[in-house]
Amino acid sequence: MIELRNITKSFDKMKAVDNVSVTIRENTVFGLIGTNGAGKSTVLRMIAGVLEPEQGEIAIDGIPVFDNMDAKKKLYFIADEPYFFANCNAVDMQKYLISVYPEFAVEDFYNYLVNFGLDKKRKVNTYSKGMRKQLALICGICSGAKYLLCDETFDGLDPVMRQGIKSIFASEMERRGMTPVIASHNLRELEDICDHVGLLHKGGVLLSKDLEDMKCNIQKIQCVFKTIEDEAKVISSLDIMKNEKRGSLNVLTVRGNKAEILAIFATANTVFFEALPLSLEEIFISETEVVGYDIKKLILG
Amino acid sequence: MISKSSFLVDMKENNKRRLWVWSIFLLIFVVLFPAFTALLLNRITSYSGWLFESYEKEIAGQILHERLIAGMCSILGESGLMKGITASAALISAVQGFSYLYSRKKIDFYMGMPMKRKRRFLNIWLNGILLYIVPYLTGLIISILIAAQSEAVDKRVLYEAGTALYTNILFYLCIYHIAILAVMLTGNIIITGFGFLVFCLYEYVVRMVLAGYKYLFFQYFCSYGTKTEPVFSPFFMYQSPVKLFIFAAIIGIFAYICYLKRPAEAAGRSMTFEVTKPVIKILLIVPTALLAGWLIADAVGFNPNSSMDGIGYVLFTLVLVIVIGSALIQVIYEFDIRGVFHKKSHIVISGVLTAFIFIVFRYDLMGYDGYIPEQKAIESVAFVPDSYDMTWEGGTYFDRDGSFMTELEYADKYMQLSNVEDVCELAELSMKEYDQFLEQVKKEGYDEGQDEYWSYATLIYHMKNGRDVIRSVWVNVNNDKTVHLLDSIMGSGEFKKGYMPGASENLDRILEQADTKRKISAVYGNGIYTKKMSETETKDFLEVYRKDLASANFSKVRESIPQAMFSLNIEENVLDDIYGTWQGISSSSRIHTISVFIYPFYEESIAWLKEHGYYMNCQLNAEDVARVQVINHNSAEQERLAEKRSTVSGAAAVMNDAEIDIYGDSEAIDTRVYTDYTKQDEIERIVECVYPDEIVYAYNWDGGKDYDRDYEVIVYFRADSELNREYGSYAYYYFMEDQIPDFVEEDTRYTNRR
Repeated sequence: MIELRNITKSFDKMKAVDNVSVTIRENTVFGLIGTNGAGKSTVLRMIAGVLEPEQGEIAIDGIPVFDNMDAKKKLYFIADEPYFFANCNAVDMQKYLISVYPEFAVEDFYNYLVNFGLDKKRKVNTYSKGMRKQLALICGICSGAKYLLCDETFDGLDPVMRQGIKSIFASEMERRGMTPVIASHNLRELEDICDHVGLLHKGGVLLSKDLEDMKCNIQKIQCVFKTIEDEAKVISSLDIMKNEKRGSLNVLTVRGNKAEILAIFATANTVFFEALPLSLEEIFISETEVVGYDIKKLILG
Repeated sequence: MISKSSFLVDMKENNKRRLWVWSIFLLIFVVLFPAFTALLLNRITSYSGWLFESYEKEIAGQILHERLIAGMCSILGESGLMKGITASAALISAVQGFSYLYSRKKIDFYMGMPMKRKRRFLNIWLNGILLYIVPYLTGLIISILIAAQSEAVDKRVLYEAGTALYTNILFYLCIYHIAILAVMLTGNIIITGFGFLVFCLYEYVVRMVLAGYKYLFFQYFCSYGTKTEPVFSPFFMYQSPVKLFIFAAIIGIFAYICYLKRPAEAAGRSMTFEVTKPVIKILLIVPTALLAGWLIADAVGFNPNSSMDGIGYVLFTLVLVIVIGSALIQVIYEFDIRGVFHKKSHIVISGVLTAFIFIVFRYDLMGYDGYIPEQKAIESVAFVPDSYDMTWEGGTYFDRDGSFMTELEYADKYMQLSNVEDVCELAELSMKEYDQFLEQVKKEGYDEGQDEYWSYATLIYHMKNGRDVIRSVWVNVNNDKTVHLLDSIMGSGEFKKGYMPGASENLDRILEQADTKRKISAVYGNGIYTKKMSETETKDFLEVYRKDLASANFSKVRESIPQAMFSLNIEENVLDDIYGTWQGISSSSRIHTISVFIYPFYEESIAWLKEHGYYMNCQLNAEDVARVQVINHNSAEQERLAEKRSTVSGAAAVMNDAEIDIYGDSEAIDTRVYTDYTKQDEIERIVECVYPDEIVYAYNWDGGKDYDRDYEVIVYFRADSELNREYGSYAYYYFMEDQIPDFVEEDTRYTNRR
């Protein structure tokens, strides 16, 4: 478990991270969402032990991380622009990483290279940006580190690669309890990967919740009422967050338990009704509205 | 605990990132160094071919061997070239090793890895040292093996090579740690370069500025004893391994602490620690402004002791450098041209500090200039007149070990005047009088007919607390009280022991040590006629001379014209000096001369010289002279005519003397009159009054008898004269002031009056 307790970090007297407390549980995919400058990279760099927080504590499985070998052994940090040695190839990187991560999975490393179509002898500086990110991810996955910190790593990966990485994550999580922490400014990028999300804004955490919990508490219903009176009766009995009306069709975003809400609709006088799947975006919109923020402005622009 | 094997693995991995540095160092030390050694051996051998034609085979072989050994000592031992290479290698190694700290990408990578910061430091630091030691040691061993093949290795070579190895390693460590410290305090390579230069030059510049301002504002400042060489610079500690080691250790620890404290976010910034920014900026600006002010003062001829003309230029320069320098550093700090307008408070602080230091010097707020220590705090004093009673050779001074010293160094070490009271009184009197004189000059201008005659001397007060206080004074030797004090000071045995080369105990030691390597010969003569003395006679004569010297004082010397000179020639054989001849082009011996004047009042000396058949005075024998040519420059007439000429051309009102000189007016008017004398009676009368230039052509410190600078006398010797063979056909002589024969004066007067 990664625990951040009241951490604060400033650059040139500007607070980049302000009193952030987050807990990242093991065996989940944690998404760290935020606009540019929200402090995502700073939080990840502090978790990785690159930066030292001015205040607060960061513990990896209960061990303080900064300049601590025991804690750092459990981490692998992939920065937004991953660094590779000058004129090196994948083999050189593997040789270096095995010297610092003794549990580096060499066989897996070369298998992944083949699967991802990366030439192990080719110089990394001739790779495309996406290929470099793939290599960085492969390095991180094979390092044997429990926590994989990815800063905007999925930005630039094509959907096929994303699916490939997702399945590797799933198998590694299952096999050895790997916990990826993925920072991104793009909600849609994390939608199909994350189990838990933390939203950062202006250096502080707006919310941190399980996606399933959030999904369970908000429902999206599409329906047509027979009469206006029927509509008014149902709406008054629900905690409506949003009501979009297109002619006679109503699309309602409703807070509450799915079964209870569907039971209300079942007893109501409707032409038809159905429950629709919710996007992460919609969940965020509704959740952040609760704490008084307009998520469209924050994340979606 | 660091696992040994994993540490070596880490070092190996780190070295993979430094392959190009390894390549360069291996090329320099393992390829070029031995190649240069081989070339040098070849050069010495080929340049020494003539030895086998000039000497017997065995001796020639010995000389060649000595030269080869000398050459190897030179190349394998300590040298400026190796010092330069070492410094460059240390800088490259440090910057390359820790350059990851400049890049956020690299920092994210390395610092995200499970490796302790101190372990990474140790890794890079140790590799940086091995980068130098391994190639150097390898190259040295190869070079020694090459030299051994030419039989150019012996214990001296091995000693020199060994000494150079550890000295260079310590020197490397010093520079390496300075460069690491510069990296730790800065965030990019350009600023690191500046930082490194600042570390190496700062103290030097500060010392130079302080000495420059003392020189500019303090008329009694003496540059002797002012150390401009930095104390805290490895470049000036090269000869002291202990100092190098201590320096390297201190800077190394400091660099390591900075490394541990360095935040990762410093990458790419100008300075690592915010708090250092204003401090470093102000510490750079203030001496730079003062240095620029001093240079401008020098360029415009600003001399505050005589007038304040030019102060405007100096002040303008100070302000300009403070403003521009401060703005420039701020731009560098921010990497933004708009930084020019930021942090104006730094300009104010720099300005105030600069002004304060300037005022301290200008108004001598520390009381430096006229400072005379309290007598009770003074242990002894050295009073060192500038080239007083010096022959042409000047003072040649030897230290106890036979090494050379300057006049001031010798006096500083060997003159301990206990008559502190008189020296302090002389200092006070002279300073007071000179201040009054300057004040008068400021008010009324310089009067050529002034009574004062100013002579320069240096005072070294050896204080009881071990410090030395050094000042220079201008002594008015035409003041009776001054003369009285000078007689007392310069008449003492302590003064003579510490100033007169002929009275030096070290000279006795050199005479005793005379051997095949150091030959001593003595000559007595008047500049034209000379007689050689034997070694025993030399020692006897020196004893007698010292008795006479004991009775000499300032007034006696001042009133006398030397009769002749006694010279000791010390010839050092440097054939087997290991540094002297390896190139095969330097001379095989060095000659040093100590000459002392023999005055008419040196009665015992003169009696001894007469008794031993050496005596002569400074007069010529008329029978050796074929012709005398007298040249009268008629300087007064020349000046009068030049003035008249400029008046006629209407330029007098706007031209000063210097300008007349510059525009060549005086050059254009030739008032010299040449007159030849061949009649025997005229020659006899002239040679009675002339003195050889060796006797009189010296700096006249005491304001006593002087030769007439208007007249030159060229004496042409007879073809059958001994002198003709020794000196060529002629020699220069001079008349003393007021001793010019009337007929010569008459004959050489410029009469073409216009």
